[in-house]
Amino acid sequence: MIEVRNVTKIHQSGETEVHALQGVCCQFPGQAFSFILGPSGSGKSTLLYLMGALDLPSSGEIYVQNRALSTLNQTERDTYRREKVGFVFQNFNLLRNLNALENVLAPFLPQGVSMEQKQRAEDLLKQVGLGHRILHRPNQLSGGEQQRVAIARALLKRPLLILADEPTGELDTRTGAEIFQCLREMSEQYQTTVVIVTHDERYIRESDFILRLSDGKIAEDNAINL
Amino acid sequence: MLKFALRNLLSRSLRSFLCLMGLTIAIAGMVGLFSIAGGLEKTVSQTFGKISGIVAMQPGAPIPLFSRIPRSWGQEISQIPGVAIVNPEIWSRVNIIEGKPVISPPRFLFGTELPSRIQLKKGIYRDAIYAGRFLSLEDQGTLNAVISRQIAEQHHKQVGDTIDVNGQEMTVVGLYECGSLLLDIAIILDIEVVREITRFDSESVSCFYIEQNGDIKNELLVNQIKDHFRDRELASWQPAALALANASQSNLLKDLMNTIDQTLKGTPTQRPEAQSESAVSKLPNQTGNMNTQTEKPAQAESALEVRSAADWGDRLETFTADLDIFLGLMTGIGVLIAMLSIINTMLMSVMERIVDFGILKANGWSNRDVMLLITAESSLLGISGGILGGILGLVAIFIVNWKFANQVHLYASPGLLLFGLVFSTFLGISGGLYPAWWTTRMTPIDAIRRG
Repeated sequence: MIEVRNVTKIHQSGETEVHALQGVCCQFPGQAFSFILGPSGSGKSTLLYLMGALDLPSSGEIYVQNRALSTLNQTERDTYRREKVGFVFQNFNLLRNLNALENVLAPFLPQGVSMEQKQRAEDLLKQVGLGHRILHRPNQLSGGEQQRVAIARALLKRPLLILADEPTGELDTRTGAEIFQCLREMSEQYQTTVVIVTHDERYIRESDFILRLSDGKIAEDNAINL
Repeated sequence: MLKFALRNLLSRSLRSFLCLMGLTIAIAGMVGLFSIAGGLEKTVSQTFGKISGIVAMQPGAPIPLFSRIPRSWGQEISQIPGVAIVNPEIWSRVNIIEGKPVISPPRFLFGTELPSRIQLKKGIYRDAIYAGRFLSLEDQGTLNAVISRQIAEQHHKQVGDTIDVNGQEMTVVGLYECGSLLLDIAIILDIEVVREITRFDSESVSCFYIEQNGDIKNELLVNQIKDHFRDRELASWQPAALALANASQSNLLKDLMNTIDQTLKGTPTQRPEAQSESAVSKLPNQTGNMNTQTEKPAQAESALEVRSAADWGDRLETFTADLDIFLGLMTGIGVLIAMLSIINTMLMSVMERIVDFGILKANGWSNRDVMLLITAESSLLGISGGILGGILGLVAIFIVNWKFANQVHLYASPGLLLFGLVFSTFLGISGGLYPAWWTTRMTPIDAIRRG
C-alpha cells in the first residue's frame, strides 16, 4: 500500500514557480496494477518520481509500507531505490556501454555482483524473451527489447514497487501491448505493485486502479476498481 | 566497477587517448628531466666510489684542470703524519686528436709522476687496464700513453698504435675503462712530458693526489694538511668572467660576478674592500683562467683546498638537489597542463553522461558510488599515463644514453619510476574529483530530465 497525503510539489522555473502537484491525496493498493492518467503537465511523472524517492515533495507526505519517505536519510533513500523500487522509463534509459546482462545488474555493480544475482539476471532476460540477446549492447537491440531489459533490471531486485513512466511511449502498438503483457505477467509472478504513468488508456483493464490528474490536482478520485 | 569505468573510457576512445597522451608525455618528461640529476648522481657515486685518496688543489678551483699550486708543496705534504704517498698531477685540455678538434666530449692530457704513481696501493686507472699495460718507470720522458676505451674506440686505436694528440705522436701502450664518464676521458702520460707539451709552469702542478697510510681518519688528515698551509699565500682561482668583471670600472658588475662566484663556491661574499688588498701571485706563467690579480687570503684560510671523495660527493649532491628544484619547476608546467587536460576530459565526459548518472542514482547508486566511478575512470587514466610515461621516459633515456654514450649518462632509478607512477595516479584521482563532485549537485530526477 502506498499512501499519498496532501502532497504539493513546486518547481522553480527561472523566477516562476510551477505548481506541479497541489495537495494530492490518494492511495495505491499493494500488489496491484495502477495507472496515473492525465494530459501533459498534469503532474503524473512528478508524483511517480516522488513515490520513487527520486525527488522530495515541497509539502505533504508519502508513505510506503507505512513508512514516510521524508524520514529517510540520503543513504536510506539510495537503499530504498536499490532494493524496493524498480524504474521503467519511456526512453528505456539503459547504459550504452553495458550489455543487456550488465544493464540488468547495474544497480548492484558498486556492491559487487554475486553469482546468484548474475544467474537470476540471465533467467529474467530469458523470461522476458531476451535469452539470445544477453550480451548485446543497447544499440544492438530494438526499442521493445530495450524496454524488456529495463523491466528485467527493475525486477532483479524483487522490488516492492515498479514505477513505469510512459513505458510504451516510444514503441509501436504491437510492441507496446507485448510490454504491458510482460509487465502484467511479471508483476503477478513477483507479487509486485506496479504504478504506470501513461497517456494511452488502451492497456487498462477493469481491475486496474486509476488516478486521473489535471493541473496538479486529482481530477477523478473515485476511480478505484472501475 | 573498474570494468565499467574502463568501458566508459573506451567508449570515448579518442578523447581518452588524447588525455592519456598528455599525461604520458608529462610523466615521460618528468622521468627524463629527473634522470639528468639521477645520471649525475650515479656517475658521481660511481666515480668517487673508486677514489679512495684525497686531492689537494688551489682554493676555489672547481676541478684540478683549473688549479695551479706550487710543485714544492708536495714534499711538505708527504711529511705530514698520515700521508703515505703524494702523487703530483698535471691536467690540461686536449684540443686536437688525429687532426680533429675536440669539443665534446672533452678529453684531457693527464700527466702523473710515475715513480710515486706506481707506488699507490690503489690506482684508479692502473686497476682499470683491460688491454696492454699501465705506465712504468721506463715510460718517463717518452710519449707512451695509456688511453681510455672511449678514446680508443672513437679513433679506432689499439695497443701499439700511435695517436696524434695536440700535434704529438703518442704510442698507445695500454687501454683502460673505469666505467665513469668523469674518468674515461684522459690520455695518461709521464708528468714531465705533459708539462713540456702544454708548456706548464715548471714550478707548478695542477694538484696532488694523496694516498693515506690509514693511521688517522680522512677528516683529520684533511684538516692537518689545510692547517699546514694556513699561513701561505696563494691566489684563489676565479672564473674568466669574474676576472673580467674585476678589471671593469663597474662596481655593479663586479659585485654581481663576485656574488655568483662566491655562491657557486659556497663561501660568503667577500667585501669589495678586501679585494683591494690583493697581492701579486707568487706563481709566474700561469695558464688557464687564473686571476692575474691575486688576493692575500685571510689568515684563517688555508692556501690549499683538500678534498676527499666524500667532500666531492657532498658538493655534487648539493648541486643535484638544486638541480632537482629547477627540474621540478620545469616538470611542474607539463604536469599542470596534464592535470588541466584530465579535468577537462573528465568534466566533458561527466556532462555528457548526466543522464547516465541519473539512471544509476535512480537504481540505487549513491553519490559516493557515482563519484567512485568517475574517479576510477580518471585514476585509470592516471595509472595508464604513469606506466606509459615511465616506459616512454625509459626508452628516451635508453636512446639518449646509446646515442650520446660518451657525453651523457641519464639514469631513472626505480624510485623515480615509482614516484612517476604514484604521482600520475594522484593527478588522475585529483583531476577527477571536481567533475565527480559536480555530479552530486543534481537530484536523480534533474539528471534524468536533462536527457
